[in-house]
Amino acid sequence: MLCSNCGNKNASFHYKSVSNGKYTELHLCRECASKLGYIKDNDNIFNLTSVFGDFLSVPKSAPAQVAKCPNCATDFDTVRRTGFLGCDKCYEAFAPVVEAMLSKIQPGTVHKGKLSGTDGKKIERDNTLKNLKEDLKRAVIEEKYEEAAILRDKIKEFEAKEDEKNG
Amino acid sequence: MAKWYIDDGSQSDVVLSTRIRLARNLKGFPFPNKMNADDAKRVIDTVEAALEEMNYTFTKIDLPAMTEEQRRKLVEERYISPAFASSKLPCAAYISEDENVSIMVNEEDHIRIQCIYAGFEDKKAYDLIEKVDGYLAERLDYAVHEKYGYLTSCLTNVGTGMRLSYMVRLPAIAMSGASESVFATIGKLGVTVRGMYGEGSKSTGHIFQLSNQTTLGRRESEIVSELGEIINNVISKERELREALFEKNGTALEDRIMRSWAILSNARILQSQEMIQRISDVSLGISLGIIKNIDSKDINAIMITASPAHIIANYETNEAVERDVIRARIVREAFQRR
Repeated sequence: MLCSNCGNKNASFHYKSVSNGKYTELHLCRECASKLGYIKDNDNIFNLTSVFGDFLSVPKSAPAQVAKCPNCATDFDTVRRTGFLGCDKCYEAFAPVVEAMLSKIQPGTVHKGKLSGTDGKKIERDNTLKNLKEDLKRAVIEEKYEEAAILRDKIKEFEAKEDEKNG
Repeated sequence: MAKWYIDDGSQSDVVLSTRIRLARNLKGFPFPNKMNADDAKRVIDTVEAALEEMNYTFTKIDLPAMTEEQRRKLVEERYISPAFASSKLPCAAYISEDENVSIMVNEEDHIRIQCIYAGFEDKKAYDLIEKVDGYLAERLDYAVHEKYGYLTSCLTNVGTGMRLSYMVRLPAIAMSGASESVFATIGKLGVTVRGMYGEGSKSTGHIFQLSNQTTLGRRESEIVSELGEIINNVISKERELREALFEKNGTALEDRIMRSWAILSNARILQSQEMIQRISDVSLGISLGIIKNIDSKDINAIMITASPAHIIANYETNEAVERDVIRARIVREAFQRR
């Protein structure tokens, strides 16, 4: 398929968007895609805003943001526009916009799957304990004392196991 | 080496392959889109050292040393992604001896582990990728977040970092004009529909890739089982429509299938597009019991071995007509052997 902009080269970038109920398709070669701002600086970062229409766009008036990630210097505008981050520290640097974007594109904003590796295992354990404690609190509030007793024992058992591992 | 695509998988009349990929990043390095060449080389060395200790043999693919055709061949075999084949950053790929696992280093994320099987094999693929990921996690410092899970360069992959994708052949759904409504329905259920080679690619020969759209907020097992259920429904719908189509226009459909069979068995010049379309007809014929002397799995293997970059790489020719002649011969011989 030829590029719908210049009509000379083969189209290698295909965009579909729905905006105001109107469906449009765009087929562009690399040069035109770059020229028209669909890809940035010839790298592979797609402009998600244009791919998804207004779906991903986060208002510029989003909660106060740092302008750049202190670790990798990725700027706020790039994150907002593309959905791409520059490093793991960006997740903290741009926390409010990350949360806002995730709540739009993902079914939840809390990871429920597994976590591996040293850090992952620790987080997994902390989360298990946190969940058990929350369940206990709820059981007490709802006056489900039998359930609360079971949860209390579970927490004790879990903490004892952790102490054993650490000690 | 055994290639994944010559295996016999389950439900291979509809499902060509099951592929799972996990996106992982290392702590302390910028993501590939912000990385310099030195960092990229260090990431490669780190991952390679971890892989060398593994009790599962990987062969390193030295992409920069390869010709464009050799790289495209890997794309056709689905070991690497199209974007990765043209990466400018130092990058490397590793393919397991059984060729079910491939690992891309410095694609969109530092590490992309992928596991592929012929047919509908979600459990096999998940078990194997779990093993490889678990092994690497013990040796590498993955970037993880207490709330968001595995961190990835794009927000569309964060959390599980998992994309499960089925390559399916849906001729009856397409021919009955049901694809729009089927795709709209499964789209609402969180399934992304793409062409054969993923992002931005067009569908040929009624082949589509169906994958989970979201990665955060659900457990891996939930993603696998929910998508599996949807795919099973699509498979049932496709089979139902195949029967209905045959009942309604039996002779016309049989004619179309047999013509395609005749062309594949006898053509002297065969273009890739035509091959894929004709093979789709023959595949339909196999599932309807019209064609009996060839299997779905053979069909799927022929399609890959006769794809453009395979012919260029294996027969050292880059001339289009010559390639089409070679393709016709490969397909003809495969069909006549039966």
